[in-house]
Amino acid sequence: MFNKILIANRGEIALRILRTCKELEINTVAVYSEADRDSLHVTFADEAVCIGPPFGKDSYLKIPAIISAAQVTGADAIHPGYGFLAENASFSEICKESKLKFIGPSPDMIRAMGDKAFAKDTMKKNEVPVIPGSDGVIENLNQAKELAKEIGYPVIIKASAGGGGKGMRIVWEESEFQKAFQTARTEAEAAFANGDVYLEKYIENPRHIEIQVMGDQHGNIYHYGERDCSIQRRHQKLIEESPSPAVDEDLRTRMGEAAIRGAQSVNYEGAGTIEFLLDKHQNFYFMEMNTRIQVEHPVTELVYDVDLVRQQILVAAGEKIEAKPKKPHGHAIEFRINAEDPENNFRPSPGKISSLHFPGGYGVRIDSHIYQSYSIPPYYDSLIAKLIVWGKNREHAIMRGKRALSEFIVEGIKTTIPFHLQVLEDGRFKSGNFDTSFLEKF
Amino acid sequence: MDLDLIKKLVKIVNSSGVTDLEIEESGFRVKIAKKIRSSQVITQPQTPIASAQPVVQTTALTAEETAKQKAEIEPTAANLHEIRSPIVGTFYRAPAPDADSYAQVGAVVSPGTVLCIVEAMKLMNEIESDVNGKIVKILVENGKPVEYNQPLFLIELA
Repeated sequence: MFNKILIANRGEIALRILRTCKELEINTVAVYSEADRDSLHVTFADEAVCIGPPFGKDSYLKIPAIISAAQVTGADAIHPGYGFLAENASFSEICKESKLKFIGPSPDMIRAMGDKAFAKDTMKKNEVPVIPGSDGVIENLNQAKELAKEIGYPVIIKASAGGGGKGMRIVWEESEFQKAFQTARTEAEAAFANGDVYLEKYIENPRHIEIQVMGDQHGNIYHYGERDCSIQRRHQKLIEESPSPAVDEDLRTRMGEAAIRGAQSVNYEGAGTIEFLLDKHQNFYFMEMNTRIQVEHPVTELVYDVDLVRQQILVAAGEKIEAKPKKPHGHAIEFRINAEDPENNFRPSPGKISSLHFPGGYGVRIDSHIYQSYSIPPYYDSLIAKLIVWGKNREHAIMRGKRALSEFIVEGIKTTIPFHLQVLEDGRFKSGNFDTSFLEKF
Repeated sequence: MDLDLIKKLVKIVNSSGVTDLEIEESGFRVKIAKKIRSSQVITQPQTPIASAQPVVQTTALTAEETAKQKAEIEPTAANLHEIRSPIVGTFYRAPAPDADSYAQVGAVVSPGTVLCIVEAMKLMNEIESDVNGKIVKILVENGKPVEYNQPLFLIELA
């Protein structure tokens, strides 16, 4: 087992990782930018090293600073959390070369799944349903147009090296195709230095259903069911839940087995998530694989009784996965609390928290790094807390969510707590009948 | 570690003629030493002031000597400049273990003078002075880790 883990991240996830390290009696090293000097996980870690000025590129994304910090503190493993360097194949590679265990997949696995076109191709070869589309990168315009006709409009042109909605164009009819193709390529070139694009059928108003997988170094790969992350604003998830109201046991089995096949195709090691789109006819299609622990992992933890970060560490240390999946028990919902003003277009609201009271009681979990009088730095994302509730069933979880949100007091900054309360009152949300277009219509 | 015991031992050493006391007992060791130095200035009364500290040896000075030393060592804060580490790494005074140190206390430096090395990921990064002045204090021990922006040298500006 590792003696000392360096946590290459910040905020709530750094604290989350630190907590599990403590339970495993592993020493912890926190790295922080100057803006995070007063961060909670920095205070709780056994050792802390300042690695740079506030901006991410100078600190949490600065590979030499992080490796150096691991070397001077004698850490033997690095946990990258999510975001930042978590899915950076070079970082995984450099850790390996520096004899530091990267708690996550190998550089090759990251590269394989990071290349969207390649990942899709791999899934297809392993009988994982994929969205009908081009076989890899589109070479020429006319071929693409023919294919689009075959697939049937609407189609979407996507950047192979892309993400975050860039280098994407939805095409509703053939007459718009050429222009869309050209602008998508230009945008992709500008954003990712790679103009390669591929083509897919555009699935209107799908549900976003993802499967949590975990693989160890002994060839075992398991899945821990699904999470429904359809409540999104501009492709940013706001509310996630497990199980999904749209997934029955049969569908769960089929999706789970498909996810395991996909992970097996690259001998996956560590925690991973396979994202699917579910259409109105209960067809599921592979979208992408995330080779890291995800923000919304707690909903899976509560329903499947598993500490996923603990499994990550055990697996990285060469042990077998400890927690075998069982049937889902109860229902969990996570509300991402952001320092944003929902009444002003979710404008970021950094500042000092003058008053704070976390909700509590049975079935309430808070993953958060904030404390009273903490000043939220303006340099990073706006996630300040995750409120996760568990109930015997969905209705109970919603009721508990409402109760917990109304006890949650944060003063001095604006938060999305009032927004979440409104969503819980919405008929469509309560019915479980929603898709990724929910917030547009809200 | 029993603080009360240590306090009692310090008191004993202080008020007696004992100059060195070392005690070891079930995984705990304390060493108290007292140095008595008589005053150099003839007009001062002949009362040597003894001070004692557990583990660390201290030098006893008369009040006047202390004040004089202070004036020499501490220039005013206004003309002091800190040289800080731009990276995370290990601090080395010299280019190699057996080589001479780049700089000593009292050395005169100018912009570009190499003061030390901070080693990171097997790369030796030379840290240079960015001012004209004299090194008055070296803030880190040789071979110790340093973090981003940690002060390394105090330079009295010329």
